[in-house]
Amino acid sequence: MVPSPLKITLLISILSIAIALILIWGTAQIAPSIIRYSTLSNAPYIKVESINVTSNGVYIRLAVINNGTPLVFRLTGGWVEVVDTGQVVNVAVIDGAVIARLPLTPQWVGLVSVGVKGIVSGVLNGSRAYIAFFDVAPIRVINKIGIADVSYADCVLNVTLSVDTVVPVVIGPIINMSLFTVSTPGYYVFETIGIVNTTVYAPAGGHNVTLTIRVSPALGRYTYVYSCNYLSGFSKYTLWLPIGVTYMYPTGNVTSYTLLTKTFVVGGGS
Amino acid sequence: MRVEALLQFALAIAFIVLWVFMPTWSISGANYSISLMPWGYVVEFFGETHVIPPPTVYAVWLFALGAGLLPLIWRRSRYSLYLAALFSVLSISMFMDTILFQQRYLQFHGYTIAPTPNGYIYVSLPTKPVLGLPTYVLLALVILSIFNMVTRARWLGAEAIEDPIVAVERVLKALHIEYSRIVGGVEVGGVRIVGQGGSLWLVRGMGETKEAIEVDLKTAIIEAVKVGLRQPVIGVVDYGED
Repeated sequence: MVPSPLKITLLISILSIAIALILIWGTAQIAPSIIRYSTLSNAPYIKVESINVTSNGVYIRLAVINNGTPLVFRLTGGWVEVVDTGQVVNVAVIDGAVIARLPLTPQWVGLVSVGVKGIVSGVLNGSRAYIAFFDVAPIRVINKIGIADVSYADCVLNVTLSVDTVVPVVIGPIINMSLFTVSTPGYYVFETIGIVNTTVYAPAGGHNVTLTIRVSPALGRYTYVYSCNYLSGFSKYTLWLPIGVTYMYPTGNVTSYTLLTKTFVVGGGS
Repeated sequence: MRVEALLQFALAIAFIVLWVFMPTWSISGANYSISLMPWGYVVEFFGETHVIPPPTVYAVWLFALGAGLLPLIWRRSRYSLYLAALFSVLSISMFMDTILFQQRYLQFHGYTIAPTPNGYIYVSLPTKPVLGLPTYVLLALVILSIFNMVTRARWLGAEAIEDPIVAVERVLKALHIEYSRIVGGVEVGGVRIVGQGGSLWLVRGMGETKEAIEVDLKTAIIEAVKVGLRQPVIGVVDYGED
């Protein structure tokens, strides 16, 4: 007997609805095992590359680590906070380097390392992204002392020093200085052996200070003055100026010795 | 074979074939996207691709295929149209359930957070849900299969009552005589009644022995019924039985 279409239809309907319901139930059952969890691997992050304390301010340089391997992060802005001083400042991108510039405050002089936290914003592979970070980084104090200008006449040596320091400094004494011609053979203009107790004080920041020294045997036993002026026929000279510098940190004075040299030309010749 | 049923089959095939090439449903975004394909959810995350196959997704196209094929395979009873309509509704139900699967288990809020050695990275991944073209074809299939069920897949023929061929068809239908539609007419047994150039033609035989005579409507109906009643009556008219 051929079953009636109604019966066939009812049977198939019930079966297919049952299959559908079982599938819905089964999908819910196996769902936890078929889904996967993905997270960013090797994501870019921020490290504090260096903290330079200079008389112009504190420069915190940030580096983007893991950039381009494989995710590309393009930084557009952000801010940092120095936990130890409470300073908050926005970062700026200068020639590809990410730099936060803070004003120099007195605390900086006494710190060895600081905690830096912050958030930078940017674009990660075309999507807006934020990177939060916290780093403890050592501080590098940058003090610069150099010779800006030299003149020598009538046995008087004037040395203009450009001083760019975080703390006040006392420059001096001078040990074994000499002025000689740049030539073959070279000739001494003067030469001192021993300590010349001439000092000059410079406050913190960037300044020019002048050391004036009357070069004469009165400076010490072993002072040899060959000429009270530049030697005739020679225009290129080198000043050799080993000098002591005392940095007046709040925690105490630190004295270091440094060699300052300057090769200069007088009278426009070479 | 009824054109209406063929249309239903064509929609089912179009839905499945289109789906192979474009998602029925997707959440699109720059570095994160989810696309619903016939083989499951294709999830892309920063260049990584994962396929997550919820079993219901296979039921979507299997039921759609059933809704298209059944009226072609089982033509005797109109119940095949009822069953096909049920299949199409089940197909779209499975589709909705598959979307619910995404909402429940592949929920995505538009961002990701990952730890870094000294902090974390937050990436904003805005997405937009999009209903694909195949979904609209599926919707059309559901509507058509329900419409075919209600009209017994006869909505195309019912419009041309002025046509003498339709009048012939109506008589044949009423007498439960098996006939088939051919181009420009109907065929009963070996006899074809074709409307051409405003008049009716009775065509007997094929090829060499073919003869065509011009007849009026009354003759055409009588001839068709004569031939029709001569043939054995076995499961005759498409979707004719109750």
